[in-house]
Amino acid sequence: MKKISVLAGLLLLTACLCSPAFAGEPLDRLKTGVDKVVDILSDPALKGAAKKVERQQKMRAVSDSFFDWRELSRRAAAEHWAKFTPKQQDDFVVAFSELLQKTYIRKLDKYNNEKVSYLKEQIEGNQAFVNTLVAMKDKSIPINYVMIKRDQWLVYDVFVEGVSLVKNYRTQFAKILVKESPEALIQRIKDKIKALDEGKNVDDAVGKDG
Amino acid sequence: MHTHTRSLLAALVLTLFCSTLALAAPAAAASASVADDKPVGVVQAVRPPLLLAYGDVDIWDENGRVIQKPAPGEKMSTADAAAETPDPLEGWNRMWFGFNDKLYFWALKPVAQGYSFVIPERPRLWVNNFIHNLGFPVRFVSLMLQGKPDAAAVETSRFIGNTAFGLGGFADVTADLKPYKPIPSTEQDLGLTFGYWGAGNGFYLVWPFIGPSSGRDTVGYAGDYFLDPASYIHPWYWSIAAKGYEKVNEVSLRIGDYETLKDASVDPYEAVRDAYLRMRFKKMND
Repeated sequence: MKKISVLAGLLLLTACLCSPAFAGEPLDRLKTGVDKVVDILSDPALKGAAKKVERQQKMRAVSDSFFDWRELSRRAAAEHWAKFTPKQQDDFVVAFSELLQKTYIRKLDKYNNEKVSYLKEQIEGNQAFVNTLVAMKDKSIPINYVMIKRDQWLVYDVFVEGVSLVKNYRTQFAKILVKESPEALIQRIKDKIKALDEGKNVDDAVGKDG
Repeated sequence: MHTHTRSLLAALVLTLFCSTLALAAPAAAASASVADDKPVGVVQAVRPPLLLAYGDVDIWDENGRVIQKPAPGEKMSTADAAAETPDPLEGWNRMWFGFNDKLYFWALKPVAQGYSFVIPERPRLWVNNFIHNLGFPVRFVSLMLQGKPDAAAVETSRFIGNTAFGLGGFADVTADLKPYKPIPSTEQDLGLTFGYWGAGNGFYLVWPFIGPSSGRDTVGYAGDYFLDPASYIHPWYWSIAAKGYEKVNEVSLRIGDYETLKDASVDPYEAVRDAYLRMRFKKMND
């Protein structure tokens, strides 16, 4: 009997000590998403310029299952969101997420085995905040995620070195929307995407160095 | 006083003068129109806070701290308030933003690319360490002025360690050493120090060559100039050359960051402004 209680006590103690290792749902979900992205980027079968399209398609699939584009767009449009018709809202979400994916997936292409460490997770109602730290070649950059629970936990805002993605766009959009219609804003985003597609972007000239 | 110090001060005074002129004009116009409508004193700031007026209240700030609401109806985090720094000189700033953009793409980036083609990344990181190590006086003085002697002490021991055992600062041998107890970030300068004391940004200001800044950070930058050893290299053109080389080395390690921000934004000027103000705010509180 005594033996069993000691064993049970030990088990309990182990369980208590181990519990911090079991992260909550949002952090797990984030980790899975980030790991998937890293897998795609470090997959030797997907390396090289020839596989660029295939690689970027896979990245897009991951990011679509990982971001709540609607919530992100709604928060970026802020109080102007109500001025959008339902059709405009849909168009805006599509155009805006397209622009984000285009530019940031290209940026991620330069991934070079930077290590991500997950520091902390907080849950409040249906929202969660996760702190991570990415070790770059000469310094570590804090990247924090805000998530919302739908069917699954989805990311709707990212903070890089204290700069919120949503709020950075909110300032830009607000400035345009006080003068122009939602339609004009959507057109501007589409124009930007078109310019990037036509290679008027500045990034392609960067090459592999840097 | 050296000639280059004098010319620097002259340039500073000139730009501040121009800014004040431009600043004064709309302010005068505004006060005139206000005086027409209502007696002074009754007038309140009618404009509601632009951000967060739509019902979604943020739970966390940029670091993941739960936002404390000091007063009912106050929904902005302090970082949001910093990002709302007025930009009365927008036209002037946009002009210099365009100038700096061209400077980057036409001169700085090609040079940095050529340089990084010749010099591999590792030596460039060594140079980066060396320059960072030399910036010790700025960080030390700022930390002392902020009343953080423990952080200043850690920074000093890093400086001594890297200088003595890191080949004069080329190797960052102290990077992995953790202080005995946690200290605040040592990446401080005088602009951040004024902010730490409670000074606001004043207004947003873009400088040619230097880039985004604010009224407060401009004063800080002028002070930092005198704490930077490279400012004291004797013939002034060698001092300029040293600073130019610092810049090229730094840019060579960051090629692509500005491009992404510019590509991804619908209004690059606003995107950079928001990012600058928020980054500075975070650094100040780290």
